[in-house]
Amino acid sequence: MVSKKQLRFIFGWLALLIAPVALHAAQVSDVVETDLVEQLARFFSMRDPSLRFALIGSILLGISCGLLGGFIVVRKMALMGDALSHAVLPGVAGGFLWNMEKDPVAILVGATIAGLLGSAMVSALTRTTRIKEDAALGLVLASFFAAGLCLQTMIIQNLPSGTQSGLDKFMFGQAAALGWDDVALMSAVTLLAVVMVALFYKELLVTSFDEGFARASGLPVRWVHHGLMLLLAMSVVIALKAVGVVLVSAMLITPAAAAYLLTDRLHRLLTLAVVFGVLAASVGAFFSFVGKNLPTGPLMVLGASTVFLGAFLFGPRYGVLSKWWARRSRSGRTQRENTLKAIYHVWENEGAALEGVSLKALAEKRRATLEEIGREVNSLERHGLATVNGPMVYFTPAGRQRSAEIVRNHRLWELYLTNSANIAPDHVHDDAENIEHVLGEDVVRELERRLGYATHDPHGKAIPSVQDVHQNAGLTGEAGKRGGA
Amino acid sequence: MTKTPDRPQVPSLEIHDLTVAYHQKPVLWGIDISITSGRLVGIVGPNGAGKSTLIKACMGLLPLSSGWVKFFGEPFSRAATRIGYVPQRESVDWDFPVNVMDVVLMGRYGRLGLLRRPGKADREIARQCLEKVQMLPYANRQISNLSGGQQQRVFLARALAQEADLYFMDEPFAGVDAATEAAIVAVLRELRDQGKTILVVHHDLPTARQYFDDLVLLNMRLVAYGKTEDVFTAELLQKTYGGRLTILSEVASALGTAR
Amino acid sequence: MNELLPAFDFHHVVVAPWTDYLPATGAWMLMGFFVTATCGLVGNYLMLRRMALMGDAVSHSVLPGLVIAFLITGTRGTWAMFLGALLAGVATTVIVETIHRKTRVKQDASIGVTFTTLFAIGVVLVSVYSSQVDLDAECVLYGEIGNIAALDEGGIPAPLVRMGSVLIGVVLLITIFYKQLLVSSFDPGLARSLGVNTTATHYGTMIVLSIVAVSAFEAVGAILVVAMLILPGATSGLLTTRLARMHGLSVVHAALSTVLGVHLALALGSQIAPAIVVAGAGLFGLAWVFSPTQGLWLRWRKPAKPGTAPAEAS
Repeated sequence: MVSKKQLRFIFGWLALLIAPVALHAAQVSDVVETDLVEQLARFFSMRDPSLRFALIGSILLGISCGLLGGFIVVRKMALMGDALSHAVLPGVAGGFLWNMEKDPVAILVGATIAGLLGSAMVSALTRTTRIKEDAALGLVLASFFAAGLCLQTMIIQNLPSGTQSGLDKFMFGQAAALGWDDVALMSAVTLLAVVMVALFYKELLVTSFDEGFARASGLPVRWVHHGLMLLLAMSVVIALKAVGVVLVSAMLITPAAAAYLLTDRLHRLLTLAVVFGVLAASVGAFFSFVGKNLPTGPLMVLGASTVFLGAFLFGPRYGVLSKWWARRSRSGRTQRENTLKAIYHVWENEGAALEGVSLKALAEKRRATLEEIGREVNSLERHGLATVNGPMVYFTPAGRQRSAEIVRNHRLWELYLTNSANIAPDHVHDDAENIEHVLGEDVVRELERRLGYATHDPHGKAIPSVQDVHQNAGLTGEAGKRGGA
Repeated sequence: MTKTPDRPQVPSLEIHDLTVAYHQKPVLWGIDISITSGRLVGIVGPNGAGKSTLIKACMGLLPLSSGWVKFFGEPFSRAATRIGYVPQRESVDWDFPVNVMDVVLMGRYGRLGLLRRPGKADREIARQCLEKVQMLPYANRQISNLSGGQQQRVFLARALAQEADLYFMDEPFAGVDAATEAAIVAVLRELRDQGKTILVVHHDLPTARQYFDDLVLLNMRLVAYGKTEDVFTAELLQKTYGGRLTILSEVASALGTAR
Repeated sequence: MNELLPAFDFHHVVVAPWTDYLPATGAWMLMGFFVTATCGLVGNYLMLRRMALMGDAVSHSVLPGLVIAFLITGTRGTWAMFLGALLAGVATTVIVETIHRKTRVKQDASIGVTFTTLFAIGVVLVSVYSSQVDLDAECVLYGEIGNIAALDEGGIPAPLVRMGSVLIGVVLLITIFYKQLLVSSFDPGLARSLGVNTTATHYGTMIVLSIVAVSAFEAVGAILVVAMLILPGATSGLLTTRLARMHGLSVVHAALSTVLGVHLALALGSQIAPAIVVAGAGLFGLAWVFSPTQGLWLRWRKPAKPGTAPAEAS
């Protein structure tokens, strides 16, 4: 389930995504000296058929790459995508040689065969030699790529038509060069990928999580792997013309890695990866169009990287900044709760006779200056836990409840450690000091039950009861009377 | 050398002349075992003795250099749905984006076959299996938030969901707390009493003696197979752990206190 | 197809490189050998340390380093280029490790995300400032080994001198730190207990890798470097298991693949750098099939089934 909080984050960094790219776009237009406004108008009105194809193609490649990329990231085969994308190059040239023209189907077939050959080579190498998988991937990647380059330079240098073949577009990609037949092929492959993943989701899930178990269950693990490789090779190939050989792996890895940071269920991960893939691809196509001479692939990749950066920093659960912020607010809360507790203690010590507690007594208790206490109490006031009136501080009902809770947690925990864990009473305070802030309601109830609803802690102080915590009374609550008695 | 009690019915597991090699180096040599149903069998032996290799080879997860394995008189491919498996806990990535329920449901996949999805009945079975290992309250937890013992219980629940007749378990007691260990043993005994066969790879000799009906003593070759009280002897253990004096002296002291 | 493959001209392909074309082919072969040997020596350690794909990552991220260094300094001076690439290489390592350590993204995916991003930045910058930067997409892919001046035109060409000194530097470093490298690659825990600073060794290796990647960049581009890092080490790893012999064999592999590669390029009329890699891959294929200990031919023979039990187990 994508919570509202998650959605907020997603839109938050969407804004972030736009900002740097927009800055860059301004620069781009300076360099290529096109009229930015006019280009924008052309883009959004979609008058250009080539633009329409480019955009549709980008969306399709975003879908297929995001979907299959999700699997390769959770299978820890991310760099298989990289190897595959380089390994298809000789197939692209071979497909061209088939009938000496840029027939997308011939190129698709040739490139898919080359990609599968590459992935088979990687598994053969790791199975039959001591070469580790990473080295095998790098080896296949670069060797196939070199073979592809040899073929390609041969074509360009030895054929008069070679230079016009546009084979070099396959390196960094040009979405604007997509034609009707390319888009038709892309739709077919994307549709195939979506249907296959939907049909075999269960098999893909279990083989990705626990291959040994899947094979022991009699599932066709090898066929699932080969099928995934086939789909992967095909979606790499259809993405080639738009993204280019060198960077197509990023469209597989980056959106999926970003999604991996945001969710804990595979189907949501795949959905998010598709959304991010489409987003990155369309943004890339947009800027490549606006900036005329810019290759599309790198721009798409930068779009995806921005999404990843956003997830890395602001992801609600695993984001670096979010974690930092949570730690910070936790320490802020701990501090406030310690102040609340101190107020409770002072009030309790003074026989609970007074309505409020003087700041001076509080400062002595906390061994702090009046100034520091003033800051702490103000923070309580901001959070609606206490009110300050001259030299005195008073609990609000919420503050009163929270302070009783904290004191109760602390004293119950001390008692528990002393009674059940045989720890000396003078050793339990520090531990309770940390645990009091995080104990949940159910754990507290359980503790209380185990302790036989004890009323006093090992030091002889009264433990506030459930009623004290929940009745939202003023300062002269039940615990006060009992504590004073 | 092999002590196979004479029993008339078709054995649950029959291993004949099984040899497995990694990079031309044999790990297991000419193993012959025949196990009848309703037995809780421990597989023990020193590190590198081929304990995990044995069960993986049985299920066809590793290529055999020679020999064959039959389950209920049939090859693995035809008997797969009657076989349950608990792999080593470290063999999977616990950061994987699934929750506890998803993992237990995987136990049903083998029975569902291709294209069908787990339905209501499967969910109900999964829930019962989770209940059996006391993990039902965690059904919606992401698996990385579980302790080692809880992860092992989830794996056990998944194997239970397979509703198999023969179970292979690879070190189910490795790195779990005492409570989980006791709970797992209770579940294994319950399965045994239902007439199922359970093979457990185990590395702790003193507890092996308590937990299992039969023991397979393994060190590249089959040293002995038979009832625990028959094969848990100093002589056979020395053969199994040959030369490893530290382990031997430990076991000797365990034997001394036990007998 | 016929028009594609030039007719095989024995003189042009086999004889002339050693006679008529020698000033030019000699320079190519020397450069190719320097690059392949340097990469191969460093690559041995990458393979041992399971960091082969860090080689991939660093060689890609050299590109933005070069471009940004150029844009800042405005020159193509050797030192600025070196420094830029070095910083980019170290930045790659740091980013990969940060992503890997701070989140649950695994190392392979974090490598994939990092280097593609950096490389994309490089390509975009090259395209935007194409008029100012003396770099183009072509040389990123193929390298410009063929553009190196012939040997007889005014002394030894500068790229040769640079690459040669990097090779000498790498050889010296390996000789000096052989023990430390060996033990820290084999068993980091043991190395630490012996007082070897493994962190320094790690970053030292990455820095050397960046230097090698940037100096090889000019000749063979960003992507083929990966092949040159891995192929010699992988080939020699099939033939021996001793590290010292692996070094020797990777240099032999480098020399052979360079010579064969130059001939291949002449025969096919293709670029030189990819042809060297293809030749190297061919040599690897031969080693894979015919290796005395791990070769495929051993598998094609019926594997001998152990007949009797070993004495010590019974």
